[in-house]
Amino acid sequence: MTLIDKKLLNKILYHVEKPGRYVGGEHNMVLKDWHSVDTRVALAFPDIYDLGQANLGLSILYELINDRPDLLAERVFSPWHDMETAMREKNIPLFSLESKTPIKDFDILGITLPYESIYTNVLNLLDLSGIPIRSTQRNTNHPLVIAGGQACFNPEPMADFIDAFAIGDGEELIFEIIHAYQEWESQNSDKKTLLKKLAEISGVYVPSLYEVEYFDDGRIKRVFPVTDDVPNIILKRISPALPPPIKKQIVPNIQIVHDRIAVEIMRGCTRGCRFCHAGIVNRPVRQRNPEDILEAIELGIKATGYEDLSLLSLSSSDHTQILDITKAVYEQNKSRRLSVSLPSLRIESFSVDLMDELKDLRPGGGFTIAPEAATDRMRAVINKPLDDEILFETVETIFSHGWLNLKMYYMIGLPGERMEDVEAILDTARKVQKIGRRLHGNRIRVHVSIGTFIPKPHTPFQWANSEDPESVQKKIDFLREGMRQSKIKLSYNRPDSTLLEAWLSRGDRRLGQVIEQAWQNGAKFDAWDEGFQKDFWYKAFDETGIKPDFYINRLRDLDEVFPWDHISTGVSKDFLLEEYEMSQRGETRYDCRKGCHVCGILDCFSDIRPNQNNTYWGCP
Amino acid sequence: MNPITPFRVRIKFAKLENLRFIGHLDLQRLFERALNRTGLPLRYTQGFSPKVRINIASALPLGFVSSAEVLDFWLNAPVDLQEIQASLQAALPKDLQILDIQEIPNKAPSLQASVLSSEYAIVFPIIYAQDDINAKLRNILAQETIPVERRGKIVDIKPMITTHAFYEEGDSTILHLQMDSSATSNVRPDELLKLLGIDPADVIIERTNLIFEE
Repeated sequence: MTLIDKKLLNKILYHVEKPGRYVGGEHNMVLKDWHSVDTRVALAFPDIYDLGQANLGLSILYELINDRPDLLAERVFSPWHDMETAMREKNIPLFSLESKTPIKDFDILGITLPYESIYTNVLNLLDLSGIPIRSTQRNTNHPLVIAGGQACFNPEPMADFIDAFAIGDGEELIFEIIHAYQEWESQNSDKKTLLKKLAEISGVYVPSLYEVEYFDDGRIKRVFPVTDDVPNIILKRISPALPPPIKKQIVPNIQIVHDRIAVEIMRGCTRGCRFCHAGIVNRPVRQRNPEDILEAIELGIKATGYEDLSLLSLSSSDHTQILDITKAVYEQNKSRRLSVSLPSLRIESFSVDLMDELKDLRPGGGFTIAPEAATDRMRAVINKPLDDEILFETVETIFSHGWLNLKMYYMIGLPGERMEDVEAILDTARKVQKIGRRLHGNRIRVHVSIGTFIPKPHTPFQWANSEDPESVQKKIDFLREGMRQSKIKLSYNRPDSTLLEAWLSRGDRRLGQVIEQAWQNGAKFDAWDEGFQKDFWYKAFDETGIKPDFYINRLRDLDEVFPWDHISTGVSKDFLLEEYEMSQRGETRYDCRKGCHVCGILDCFSDIRPNQNNTYWGCP
Repeated sequence: MNPITPFRVRIKFAKLENLRFIGHLDLQRLFERALNRTGLPLRYTQGFSPKVRINIASALPLGFVSSAEVLDFWLNAPVDLQEIQASLQAALPKDLQILDIQEIPNKAPSLQASVLSSEYAIVFPIIYAQDDINAKLRNILAQETIPVERRGKIVDIKPMITTHAFYEEGDSTILHLQMDSSATSNVRPDELLKLLGIDPADVIIERTNLIFEE
């Protein structure tokens, strides 16, 4: 193991933008003696520090691994363009922030895949580390490359590059993977043996042990294991109860996104919105009880010195004790200078009451709601029912309780959407603005944020297709003009970057060639507006002879085998299909806490369901 | 009005290694959070969004190390200085080291207003022959004016450079400089280095002293 030449590094750091991204040295960073441990894990988030350091999953694993005396974990992020150029020029391989050790010298490289537009950065990160990008090119001298995170529920597009995927919650899984690695290491065996050993762990998917058979028209016939003792279907892992909150969150020396204490109050969501990937893959709902939340906040404040706190969940209002929590958080912190944000609130006046409970701990900014669709018909299609009356009443409450900025999230391009549904978004925004102006005049601001629908794997809409970008652009243009006239702020995603996310999230194994080719062509930082260049991708599709439309333009047959069908979220395909058909009939389903719809999750995990009363699961 | 007389504390600290790449605003935020972690009875600024009241004497350019940074902060009650130093040091990253701590009369003038100049030690690696730099520097300083460009404007930095001297330490040549760092007259050592044709990234620039108005 050789450390990076510090002098050379300092020289290049002097000339790059925000060099603080590359030096570590933060409060609560853990720097262990390299030789005092058995196994060294590099945890990578393949985007810049400013984004990656805010990732909760990474922070949880970092702390859990470093809590073990026989292990160490260090962090690595993608260098920004200027730093990459300098590193390549000076032949400096990618290194960890803590000890400045080259990534290729670690035993295990664990990569977070939170979203798909990060894939080319994974290849770039491996390449910058001097590690061959393809799994088959790597041997026992290279780190074992594993990946986890929300995008791994369709691992196939990255199958050529990742040795093993950890599917689902990683808190227990990571140690089982490390344990298998340690056992294998002591046996001095080959890589294939390691991979087989990993594949025996429940929740681990080793793509090289599976093969895909196709029909002549390109659709998948079947995916099957090519070796014994590995499962046909890989069921995700879940943590039966939420892991203990982070005790020593790293306090970045430079400003990052979400620069605050993060306390996860609930994982999963019972709402059942049909477009929502997170809502399916994170089932069942597990919530943290109020005492543990308060303790986490107290620890967090003392360990970080932050004056901002965010209580994280997919749907804060749905925590069964949310009112007690907000009251207690206020009592706990009323003498402090702390700003507490409570994202993802339901559209009802009660949400405003919740914020009121926080009194002067309420953050300044604005209030955010997510109606997602503006007509009753579309709301039934996506299973997010909401009465306009309640919406406007809530908006009235929000403005009358002193908020002047209101942000509303909507989606376009949803299955079965008509122009009138898009018009209704504009109409609603104008009515909302009118309510605000009646109360506060021109001081109020309404901000509408438009997301374009992507038929995500594992959701009831996985059989649907993506709307073509031209038609999406027309809808955006319509909204832009209308909002401009009414002086309502509008933000939206570029239709072509939505397209990329759709290809990558729905892709199969063959897409690996396209990703590699696009990266060769220059694609990286695709998640960035200024980074994404569609030409790299179209050229890559051309060069590989793979048709992009195949992945997103077809309405799927109900019996089509999807590339991700061998990865199970615990929710059955039958249930998803039933949901899809209900959506086409415009039928909604009530919150599953009021009665089980038999999605399948309980069948898969009932044996690990805690029976103590203080570890609440959303399932009835 | 806060009825308690504020307890004003001044620390001198070193900024080393990794932390040299953390800029002024980030350093300010870092100290706010570190002070928060100490649990000391901090005093906050007045106004709409109160912040921990701190005052850093002089912004240190990115990439420089220092053994002479100075910062004031205010407490609502007197606390033993050694206790403050211990708890603040424990809350700081290891590349920020407190060198000295003292109580300052609350009415003392603000740090920024009383900084006059800085002393720097610029460490040249062996590859730079001392005589060569020395000769170049002598030529530059012999000029009537030393014009440098700042945001499109030409500024004469000659009157801002107080002293310079070379000395040897081990294998390295060190250039000692004293130059203005006040609100009205301010020059950076790397401005001079550029005139010498030296990439500031090739040398180590350390601020070794801050000189204040008496």
